[in-house]
Amino acid sequence: MKIGYTSIFAGLFLGMGVLLAQPQDDEKTSYLQQLVEVDQCVACHIEEEALPEGLHENDIHLREGLSCAGCHGGDPTSDDMDIAMDPARGYIGIPDKQEVPSFCGKCHSDIRFMRRFRPQVETDQEVQYYTSRHGRLLKAGDTKVAVCTDCHTSHAVFPASDPRSSVYPTNVPETCKRCHSDSDYMAEYKIPTDQYEKFAESVHGVALLKKKDVGSPACNDCHGNHGALPPGVTSIGQVCGNCHINNLQYFQKTKMAEEFKKMDLHDCIECHGYHAVPPTNDEMVGVGEQSTCIDCHDEGDEGYKAAVEIRAMLRNLTTAIDSANTLKKQIQIIGMDDLDIEYLLKDAHQQLIHARTVIHTFDPKQVEEKTKTGLDRAKEAIQLALEEIEEYHRRRKGFLFATLFTTLLIIGLFIKLRQIESEQKEDAHRREP
Amino acid sequence: MELNRRKFTNMLIGGGLLGWLASVLYPLFTYLIPPRVEEQSLNSVKAGKVDDFPPNSGKIIKFGRKPVLLIRTETGDFRAFSATCTHLDCIVQYREDTKHIWCACHNGMFDLTGKNIAGPPPRPLMPYGVRVQKNEIIIEKPTNLG
Repeated sequence: MKIGYTSIFAGLFLGMGVLLAQPQDDEKTSYLQQLVEVDQCVACHIEEEALPEGLHENDIHLREGLSCAGCHGGDPTSDDMDIAMDPARGYIGIPDKQEVPSFCGKCHSDIRFMRRFRPQVETDQEVQYYTSRHGRLLKAGDTKVAVCTDCHTSHAVFPASDPRSSVYPTNVPETCKRCHSDSDYMAEYKIPTDQYEKFAESVHGVALLKKKDVGSPACNDCHGNHGALPPGVTSIGQVCGNCHINNLQYFQKTKMAEEFKKMDLHDCIECHGYHAVPPTNDEMVGVGEQSTCIDCHDEGDEGYKAAVEIRAMLRNLTTAIDSANTLKKQIQIIGMDDLDIEYLLKDAHQQLIHARTVIHTFDPKQVEEKTKTGLDRAKEAIQLALEEIEEYHRRRKGFLFATLFTTLLIIGLFIKLRQIESEQKEDAHRREP
Repeated sequence: MELNRRKFTNMLIGGGLLGWLASVLYPLFTYLIPPRVEEQSLNSVKAGKVDDFPPNSGKIIKFGRKPVLLIRTETGDFRAFSATCTHLDCIVQYREDTKHIWCACHNGMFDLTGKNIAGPPPRPLMPYGVRVQKNEIIIEKPTNLG
């Protein structure tokens, strides 16, 4: 049943033939139509209108010269169906779902074969897959779970870096959603099916799906891809810490981290949630309605006091930055110089970001170091802004006085001229006989 | 009456002339005094003396309204990059331990050519030119390069 290298090389050979025969200037000619000339699988399946569903002309396998027989075996040189699809010639047809990982793994797990395409290619996907929840269930006979083709598709496979790929970062949530948001399909696994909806509204989901920020995590960045598993209790912090490294490092040094472990609490997600991670805001600290601190801390305890102090420091800094920003906008409207103000504000904002990170020490003193510097910058910006506004008013007044003096001068000159004219007329009258 | 009118007119002209002269000369003199801030369209800034920057160190330098990260590598070379992370505009810093440029916000990393090598930053940091003139380090706008 196993497909031999002969078939793969036959497919590659035929594909290379097509690539070499392909007229470079004839882009309008369908690639599949060109394959018809040399590949009887393609020729018959086009004639019978039985091409695989979703087949894409630019599928990476097809374009690398791996045609039908390259995966499905058989003899692509024969137009006789019985010969072309003879198991004796390596034909295996469509593999059973349980066989798919080894079917793909025949090439993808073979470093000698794969490195001719990409020297640094990874070949541990199949091994990783069998460590995943999907892989373990498949091994146990559950054919509902995802195999390679469910995520990568069968005949529209692109590198993960290609935006057309079903596993391109912005497409990953949609790919996972196909099964994981189907409550009927997932019913027997007794896991939630609202992950996609929650993720799409989260800070990560909005960045990835709406803003197309591929630096934002997709499902696989937290759960893994080929070895996909839910992050364990001990690894959640590490998962978030991949990007939010400072937050993790500060948190790990706190008493709270130890207490969390003892109480079997799950690091970051206890305050931030997981799939529905909302954008953070300063209201999460403190003792207000949105505070996460008061979920555990009661009035009078050390944590409660720290929350109040930290919240006040953040409020002072954000208020100062807001005031400076308002003045900066005013300065831009009146056309004065905002260069230094903007620079100072950037620094103040950077200190605010630091302060918000240092919150994870839960130590008001460490937060104060950052907020104090930020507050100094914001105050400097406010002072500069006020000076610019004062200068603007001074210039306006100066212009007013200049206009006034010029007007007075004109009036004075006008009267003087009239006087001279009048004197000249009087002199003329006097001289007349 | 005639004398008063003449006197008044002369005063008006004299006062107006003085005021007008002041309003012309004031901006002229203030223009001649060096401005408190740098010009907005900066082409270069002086970052300091060479000796102020030990090898394997980095410092944020104000370049107009933008922060620039000036790095002195272990070998003594100077390099400068826009200090604004290409991910979400945080200010990057030089890490003396890893000898990389690092953004503390989301653990983004750039190598010493400014190339994004790890984490979420999607693009490299914009390089600035650096030249040393009479022991003085001068950072230049990217357009002045080459």
